[in-house]
Amino acid sequence: MLKNYFKIAIAVLKRRKFFTFISLFGISFTLTILLVLTAFIDKVVNDNYPDKKRDRSLYINKIELRGKESMNSGPLSYYFLDHYLGKMKTPEKVAISSGFNSTNTYVNNRKVVINYKYTNADFWEVLDYDFIEGKAISRQQVTNGERVTVISEDMKKEYFGDDGASAIGKYIEADNVKYRVCGVVKSLPITSYLLYADIYLPITTYKTKLDADKGYMGNFTAILLAKTPADVAKMKIEYEAIIPKLPVPGKEWDHIYSHADSYLEGYVRSGNEQRSGMTYALTAITLFALFVMLLPTLNLVNVNITRIMERSSEIGVRKAFGASSKTLVYQFIVENLILTFLGGIIGIVLSVVVMYFINSAKFIANLNLSLNFTVLGYAIVTCVFFGLLSGVYPAWRMSKLNIVAALKA
Amino acid sequence: MFRHLFKMIWNKKKQNSLLIVEILLSFLVIFAVFTFAINSYNNYAKPMGFNYKQVWAISYNHTLETKNSDSVVLVYENLLRNIKSMPQVVDAGYASGNIPFANNHMSTGIDNNGHKVDNVNNFFMDENYINVMGAKMIAGRWYNKADGGSKANIIVINRKLKEELFGNTDAIGRTFGNNDDKNKRKVIGVIDDIKTDGDYQQAPYGLYNRHDTAAYKWMGKILVKVSPGTDAAFEAKLYKLMANTFKNSNIEIEHLDNKLTAYNKITLVPLIILSIVAAFLIINVALGIFGVLWYNINKRRGEIGLRRAIGAPGSSVSGQLVGEALILATLSLIIGAFFAVQFPLLNVFDLPAVVYLGAMLLAVIFIYLLVLVCSLYPGKQAAAIYPAVALHEE
Repeated sequence: MLKNYFKIAIAVLKRRKFFTFISLFGISFTLTILLVLTAFIDKVVNDNYPDKKRDRSLYINKIELRGKESMNSGPLSYYFLDHYLGKMKTPEKVAISSGFNSTNTYVNNRKVVINYKYTNADFWEVLDYDFIEGKAISRQQVTNGERVTVISEDMKKEYFGDDGASAIGKYIEADNVKYRVCGVVKSLPITSYLLYADIYLPITTYKTKLDADKGYMGNFTAILLAKTPADVAKMKIEYEAIIPKLPVPGKEWDHIYSHADSYLEGYVRSGNEQRSGMTYALTAITLFALFVMLLPTLNLVNVNITRIMERSSEIGVRKAFGASSKTLVYQFIVENLILTFLGGIIGIVLSVVVMYFINSAKFIANLNLSLNFTVLGYAIVTCVFFGLLSGVYPAWRMSKLNIVAALKA
Repeated sequence: MFRHLFKMIWNKKKQNSLLIVEILLSFLVIFAVFTFAINSYNNYAKPMGFNYKQVWAISYNHTLETKNSDSVVLVYENLLRNIKSMPQVVDAGYASGNIPFANNHMSTGIDNNGHKVDNVNNFFMDENYINVMGAKMIAGRWYNKADGGSKANIIVINRKLKEELFGNTDAIGRTFGNNDDKNKRKVIGVIDDIKTDGDYQQAPYGLYNRHDTAAYKWMGKILVKVSPGTDAAFEAKLYKLMANTFKNSNIEIEHLDNKLTAYNKITLVPLIILSIVAAFLIINVALGIFGVLWYNINKRRGEIGLRRAIGAPGSSVSGQLVGEALILATLSLIIGAFFAVQFPLLNVFDLPAVVYLGAMLLAVIFIYLLVLVCSLYPGKQAAAIYPAVALHEE
């Protein structure tokens, strides 16, 4: 039966080539846009290099002070993280790092912009950077405040040139201080802004005294690592319990907010406690997807109605020989799904081409979009959704067709 | 004639309603893109208000050991003198973090006897700012050294804020603030608008405060105007000078023209993506409309043949079909215009009404052209039908 429908569908597609082209065009381009969008989101959100232990990690990126008229929100101070997180029982390790700041350095009359980040010893144990050369900053080196640094592959190329020689043991100058290179890691795209940097420095070489500022606001973020994934919930509760007990630092404030989030929640947190970043991001993405899909779907419905009405004599004959409305609806939906899948295949090919262009144009360095199984899965779901959406209404209208009227036409 | 066409459309209302919705949605999409584009273009057409070429911004942190305010002031004044004395430097001055094209905004609200203005950018600059930036005064004067000693509460505002507060009247010497406001401020100058948010954004309201000596600690930026052709070797020298003054500080030198390019991307990238997506949607819709009209006309061969047989010329037949399509478009546009006109009426997004009206007009023209192009060919085809053949088929 299905084989029969398939044959009919192909025959119909071949008969009216122009309409087939319109349908395939609509489906494939809509899918291309959605696929590239999903690939981008997937890359930004799901790519877990270098934090491969996300199922055991919680991210603390912000603290917010709120009063009647004022609001102050931003990363946390080292004192806060060291003092309060150090007392927590559940986390196995606490990676503390500063946000990235940029500075210039001048090599042979050439200006190099360097983004640097200070890290503690746990940072290198919590995160699994891929080392191309050398190794991470050791606990000993951090304790001693040695001027060593781990640099990114891109920085190595920019600073030392692209001659393939090892960078280990060489010196890199940033903010008028020379640091000895002890490791080179695979570069990150800037979209992983929580972990991105060109050079990573020991936190003990931080220029001002780390615990000089006893306030809550500062320049640092933390990753809490639990022993097992099961401990994560416990760790979250333990952190959230600390916050209400904090002394409020001034009269202008009445609330303190800070959360230990999963990666995704932390990534989209808007810095406004009253409005969650998740809702923002989801609404924006859904609206965009609807915006992209609505018009082509309507168009497809329109074209499908035209196509089906054209076949009214065929429908009339089948009905006259006793085919039920249900069978006919079923047939047309199957036909439409076949059409959608054909469009889907073209769409996947197109999106691979588009992603290739985006990657080679290097809009964002180190961000390589790819079509993985997650994205493909989304593509198939979208295809089915599309096919059903644009097939059901025309099929239903067709099945209502009066036999006599249909035969007459 | 029109009544007749309406009747024809009404008879096929089920089929036409889908087309109407489709055209309506296309109109709204086009309207959104045009609004965005016209607004960006309007802002782009306005002058920048200053010369950002060869202006560098140095960022520093206040890391001096001494707490003695006199020696702090001395260090900062010395530093600026040293920078200015370098041969490649035209002029230099201290500025607050919200320099042009920085992602840093400091805003405040003004209440001038009940007339509230929100989102006024609060700048803190020194007496060198006007020279470094090459900005223009429209009226009055910029700060000078002597203002440092005076206790008077004086202020420079930009043109946009002046027009909002004082309209077309002269602003120099006027004061603003509430009646119960203890520090009413007297306007001594009006500076021309500076588009601090890049080429494609409007110049914001601006309030220029003269920074006092206590402010050195948190200003964080030095703007330097250098002569053309200054290279990285000089930049390295400037960097060393900064680094020697502020040991332990993070220092970065940025060029405003590079910052502008980066900043413009924030507006341009969404516009480009939106245009590509919209273009694809419109091609899609155009093909769809074309297909449906073409099919409908083929189905009405009998009717058309009959009309031709009783003497209707080809142009009248194609005219009728194109007319039907245009009436369909008009119906959608009436509904679309109803939605679109809400934007200027309700003042959504705070854009000038002119932008919305211009976008509406362009979108209407665009949709008419689209429908016209899509219906011309099927109409022409219909006109070419031979009455004998069509009637024979029937």
